[in-house]
Amino acid sequence: MRGKQMTSSPRDEPLFHGGGVMEACDSSRVSLREFGCEQNLLSRPDGSASFIHGDTSVYAGVYGPAEVKVSKEIYDRATLEVLIQPKVGLPSVRERSQEQCVRETCEASLLLSLHPRSSLTLILQVLHDDGSLLSCFLNAACMALMDAGLPMSCLFCGVTCAIDADGQIITDPTAAQEKESRALMTFAIDSTQRNVLMSSTKGSFSVNELQQCIAVSQTASEKIFQFYRDSVQRRYSKTL
Amino acid sequence: MKDTPLSNCERDFLLQAIEEKKRLDGRQTYDYRKIKITFGTDYGCCFVDLGKTRVMAQVSCELIAPKENRPNEGIMFFNIELSPMASPAFEQGRQSELSVKLNRQLERCLRNSKCIDTESLCVVSGEKVWQIRVDVHMLNHDGNLMDAASIAAITALCHFRRPDVGIQGDEVTVYSPEEREPIPLSIYHMPISVSFSFFQQGTYLLVDPCEREERVMDGLLMIAMNKHREICSIQSSGGIMLLKDQVMRCSKIASVKVSEITELVGKALENDKKVRKAGGRCGFAESLPQERITALKMDKTPVEMMDVTERANDIVQKAGVPPQTYPELSLNNSCMNHENVSLALYPPLMLCHTVSTVAP
Amino acid sequence: MAAGFKTVEPLEYHRSFLKENCRPDGRELSEFRTTTLNIGSISTANGSALVKFGNTTVMCGIKAELANPTVETPGKGYIVPNVDLPPLCSSRFRPGPPGEQAQAASQFIADVIESSGVIQTEDLCIDRGKLCWVLYCDMMCLDYDGNLLDACIVALLAALKNTRLPEVTFNTETSAPEVNSEKRQGLCIRKHPVATSFCIFDDSILIVDPTAEEESLATAQLTVVTDEEDRLCSVHKPGGTSMSGQKLQECISRATARQREIQKLIDKVAHSVKMEQ
Repeated sequence: MRGKQMTSSPRDEPLFHGGGVMEACDSSRVSLREFGCEQNLLSRPDGSASFIHGDTSVYAGVYGPAEVKVSKEIYDRATLEVLIQPKVGLPSVRERSQEQCVRETCEASLLLSLHPRSSLTLILQVLHDDGSLLSCFLNAACMALMDAGLPMSCLFCGVTCAIDADGQIITDPTAAQEKESRALMTFAIDSTQRNVLMSSTKGSFSVNELQQCIAVSQTASEKIFQFYRDSVQRRYSKTL
Repeated sequence: MKDTPLSNCERDFLLQAIEEKKRLDGRQTYDYRKIKITFGTDYGCCFVDLGKTRVMAQVSCELIAPKENRPNEGIMFFNIELSPMASPAFEQGRQSELSVKLNRQLERCLRNSKCIDTESLCVVSGEKVWQIRVDVHMLNHDGNLMDAASIAAITALCHFRRPDVGIQGDEVTVYSPEEREPIPLSIYHMPISVSFSFFQQGTYLLVDPCEREERVMDGLLMIAMNKHREICSIQSSGGIMLLKDQVMRCSKIASVKVSEITELVGKALENDKKVRKAGGRCGFAESLPQERITALKMDKTPVEMMDVTERANDIVQKAGVPPQTYPELSLNNSCMNHENVSLALYPPLMLCHTVSTVAP
Repeated sequence: MAAGFKTVEPLEYHRSFLKENCRPDGRELSEFRTTTLNIGSISTANGSALVKFGNTTVMCGIKAELANPTVETPGKGYIVPNVDLPPLCSSRFRPGPPGEQAQAASQFIADVIESSGVIQTEDLCIDRGKLCWVLYCDMMCLDYDGNLLDACIVALLAALKNTRLPEVTFNTETSAPEVNSEKRQGLCIRKHPVATSFCIFDDSILIVDPTAEEESLATAQLTVVTDEEDRLCSVHKPGGTSMSGQKLQECISRATARQREIQKLIDKVAHSVKMEQ
């Protein structure tokens, strides 16, 4: 879909984010782009958030717990539905598989059994894709679930790692870096034990590379969880 | 998921307030809510906030074969997505009455008004033309989706740049934005839709109804007009009879509103052009409100790589090497049939494998 | 008695077995079901295979068609995998458009084909920019009893190995392809990816090759795809309870061993098919 539809990019920034100069040292590649989040920005959903990784941007909205359709009702827990809306065109098979990943990750951290026979709906809208989209979905989803005040057993965050042609690990790659890379992995890390909740990979890689990427993601997740903590602290700073 | 129904006392309260010329958000009868226009990172990506209503439009293009009866014209395609994010009443992938109505009105407003020069979108006559696709996503529904969608769509079209093409013989090359500067669409005029809602069988009228007001209204009149005061489309819905005078009055109000909005769109486009020319960043990170307590931004941070390799090696080594030797597979030829061959692999006992064949 | 227990408390029923390190069907935790492979089952397809993992049955048929390469990739053919879960295979699937599981499985297979490089799409090109092969790989589940992804990958790999394409030349004068059905050639299979699925019970117990019932009761699922060079082609864990790197490593070791067996099995069957001809 993306190959055929063309949305012209205004800035000629072909390879690297923030200047186009390729730096040789490791630290520039193994870093997280600037990221930001705004919670409670939409009036209709029960919980909403926007999450930004560099230029990649996603909106998330949560409705529920609410009435559930009889056909989707589960007698001992809430039904969670995740919908991903692409920017151009209708959702395709790729979105379906991403929906599955996000849904099962959320199901693992949400305490769904506290709301039996009800429905939760999480809608994710792509605003701009500049790499690491799946991890942006996960982070936006987590922030929106927090905003909706749903009970969760742990928080989670997404980290994308790419391995370039020289075998170097790049964290939080841009779209151009993703294209150049030999392998791409996205992990969801939980906040209690820093274990892998979700894993989705592309390309082929060795066992060692996988374990390294997991270790890098676990380290990077610390930064994101700290960010979660900071933003919640900021939000409730006036009421505390 | 169903929308929360409106209670009777809420309905009565709203109608009484309208009778007393009061609105929930303190506006006057003819006031629009605050309009905010922002742009995304891409060309052709526009956000419109109309009070709490939020809409995103994205324009994209594709080279396709033209329609047979119009070989020299590009194709305009409009799609309004009523995303369930905007309201719990919207369902994904279902063509509701509202979505058909909005799509039709947007098409009438922007395609049938011939505001875009479709002939300039022809690349090779009868073979290749540009299809311009406008996707409008509703992000938050707080009433008057149509006006927000029409502003977002026309602003996104004005903002959009399509890639330049070159023709050598019968080869068509599409140049990337790095090779050649992308080209804006040629737009003759900007039709903008203005909605009026009527209450108590047309006794009371409000401009730019919010979601609560839309729930109690009797009829809706949508007028699409450009700044030259030319009406591009007019539609009344909800089964309400209107007097000629009422329609005339509405069109007069519309002309004032349209000129205000056109000016605002012009300013927003001009502003964005300046920022982009100055090489400033225009991504979403910049649009994040810094002063709000609900928003937080963190700068680029390095990730410690200190012990990553050791930790990874540790795990790989601890797990040990998987056993590499397996008993040889044996194949019993006597029990094969002539068409095809079956082989069975019996379950191994804790990684110790025994394999033999089965009779088909 | 046992049947009643199973219906009323399915989770407890499974737990009581897992406590004793075995499973309701008599397997140990790390034991696979009997794997049966039948190659060349459909004579009208260019290549086909039938795989059974216990009750789970997947049929893969490969249809090759001639097509024009896309403008963006003039030197490449393409592979279109599709997983079908008809109501026939289990009462959990309804007729109509493919559900989420079927779509996610199709996407997973497409990702594995691309990631593993089992076939180089360049090999499918006949004449650059003019003519190429399209391989439609349809995987139809005939009986669903868990572990769909593993069965699909084995069926696909075996069917690809079985595929014979006629020799085609592109006549530049008439701009038409000429097909020589007499001369048939196999595909160049570059890698042998094999998937191994795991389920996690009660956040801690790891079992391989889950049945449909085990899948529905498990708290997480994991599929690891490896090739003969021990490179990983996919580590797919769509969610569920979390897993440490160590536990993941255990799964990878098992998947590597499993890859060897399956490759041997496929080679053996493919070889005996050749002997027959």
